[in-house]
Amino acid sequence: MKNAAYTEIVKNFNEDPDMLIEARDVCMTFKMPTERIDNLKEFAIKFIKHKIRYQKLEVLKDVNLSVARGESLALIGRNGAGKSTLLKILAGIVTPTSGLVLTKGNTVPLLKLGAGFDMNASGKENIFLNGAMMGFSRREMLKKYDSIVEFSELKNFMNVPLKNYSSGMISRLGFAIAVDVNPDLMLIDEVLGVGDIPFRNKCAAKIDELKTNGTTFIVVSHSMSQILTLCQKAVYLENGIVKMQGNVNEVAKAYVSDCEKLGIKTQK
Amino acid sequence: MDSLRKSNRANDAFNKAWDKWRKGFITLSSLVVKNVKNQYRRSVLGILWTVLNPLLNMLVMAFVFSNIFGRKGIEMDYPVYVLSGNIVFTLFSAASTNAMTSIVSNYDLLYKTKVPFSVFPLSQIFSASVNFLFSLIALVAVMLIRIPNGVTFHWSMLMILVPWLPAILLFTTGVSYLLCTVFVRFRDIKHFYSVLVRLWMYLTPIFYSLSSLNLSDTASRLMQFNPMLHYLDYFRSVTLGTIPGVREHAIIYGVGLAVFAVGWLAFRLSRNKFILHI
Repeated sequence: MKNAAYTEIVKNFNEDPDMLIEARDVCMTFKMPTERIDNLKEFAIKFIKHKIRYQKLEVLKDVNLSVARGESLALIGRNGAGKSTLLKILAGIVTPTSGLVLTKGNTVPLLKLGAGFDMNASGKENIFLNGAMMGFSRREMLKKYDSIVEFSELKNFMNVPLKNYSSGMISRLGFAIAVDVNPDLMLIDEVLGVGDIPFRNKCAAKIDELKTNGTTFIVVSHSMSQILTLCQKAVYLENGIVKMQGNVNEVAKAYVSDCEKLGIKTQK
Repeated sequence: MDSLRKSNRANDAFNKAWDKWRKGFITLSSLVVKNVKNQYRRSVLGILWTVLNPLLNMLVMAFVFSNIFGRKGIEMDYPVYVLSGNIVFTLFSAASTNAMTSIVSNYDLLYKTKVPFSVFPLSQIFSASVNFLFSLIALVAVMLIRIPNGVTFHWSMLMILVPWLPAILLFTTGVSYLLCTVFVRFRDIKHFYSVLVRLWMYLTPIFYSLSSLNLSDTASRLMQFNPMLHYLDYFRSVTLGTIPGVREHAIIYGVGLAVFAVGWLAFRLSRNKFILHI
C-alpha cells in the first residue's frame, strides 16, 4: 500500500522542477543502551546475563514536509526537539530509520563552520582542503580563492597555521569558504552569528545576496528575528513531532507564546 | 517521447553517479596529501624521512637479527631480505592501524559535512601506499649498494606495482574496514590489535626464513594460512627475478578479494548505526 503511494510521490516530485525537498513519514529511532558500553568485557558479561537493556528513543516521528524553490523554511523548537537531526536527514548525512526523503539540486550543508579544518595547516591550505571536502578540485578552488580571502578579511594571515588563529577568525574563514558557492539549497544550523558586528552584517548581506540569486534556505535557529527575515515557512517541532507548520509568522508566534507560557524568554 | 525521457533519466543517473565518484576522489586525494604532509610537518628532513625511516629500521634489524637467527636458508642478500620484509609488513600494519581509528577521529567531518564514510579508511590506506612507494626507493638504493655482493636487478620487479600492489591493497582495505567497524563499537580492539599485529609480524618471515625454523609438518602447514606470508613471498620472488605461477596469483587475489568483500559488507551494514556509538 505504502509503496504504491510512494511511487506516486516520487513520480510527482521528479516531474515538478520547483520542488526541492519532499519528506514523508520520516522517523528516526535510536536504540540506546541504558548505559554506555564501549568495551568488550562489559558487553560480554552483560550479554550473558541478559542485562543489556535498550531504550527506544524516538527523535523524530512521522515528519512530513516539502520545500519548494524560493520558499525558505525555518525549523524551530526547544533543545532536543529533533531539529538538527531532521536537518542532517534532509542534508543526506544521516539515513532515517523509516520514511521517504527526496531531494533535488545542489545541496550544501552548513552545520558547523570549518568542520575538518586542519589546525596544523595554513589558512591557504585549509581553503583548498575544505573545498576538497565539498568535492571541489584544486583548480575550481583556485578560481574562488581570491573572493574567499577577500570576504574573510584574512589576507595577511593566509600563510599562518590555523592553530594561531583566534576562534572568530576560524569561523570567519569557515563561513567565507562555505558561502562561496551558489547552491540550490543551503542547510544552516545556528552558524549565522559568527564574528564581530561588522562581519555579522556582512554575513547577513551575503545571505541576502544568495537568496536573491535563488538559493533556498533551511535554517535551524533560536533567533526569531533572523528567522522572520529569512524564511517564509516554518516547522515547529516538539519532542520529535511536528506540532505546527505553515506561515513563518504564525508558527513563530505560536512557538513564542508557548515558550512564554513556560516562562522562558526568547530573543526578539 | 517516453523513451527520450527515459534515456534522459538514465543520463541523469549516470551524471549523478559520475559526479559522486569525482567528488569522492577529490576528497580522498586531498586527505591523502594532508596525511602525508602532516606526518613530517616541521621536521628538518621532511618527506626524506619516508625513505630514511625504513632504511634505518633495516639497519637495526639486519644488525640485530643476522647474529641471532643467522642467515640460514636465505638465498637473498640479507639487507635486501630484511628491508623487503619490513616495508611490506609496514604497508599492511600502518595502513590498518591508522584506518581503524579514522572513522571515530573524523567525527566532525562525518556528521557535519557530506563526505562519504568510506573515504576515511581509504585515505589512510593510500597514505600508507604513498609511504610504501617512497620506501621502494630505499629498497632500490640498498640493492644498488649491494651490487658488489651479487645483487642483480630484474624487470620482473615491476610486477610489484602491478599485479602485486592492488592485491595487497585489497587485503589491507578489507581488514581495515572490518577493524573500523568493530572499533566504532568496541574501543578495546585498538589495544588488542596492536598486540595482534606484533604477533603477526613475528609469525611472518621478515628477518628469518621459514626453512631455518625446522618446523614440524603441521606447524609449517599452519604457517601457510598467514596471508602476509604469501604476499611477502610473491614480493621477494619478483625481486629475485622469478615470475610466480598461476597458483600464487590465485592466492594473493583470492585472499584479497575475499577479505575485501567481508570487510566492505560489514562496513556497509553497520554504517548507519555508527552515529549511536561514535
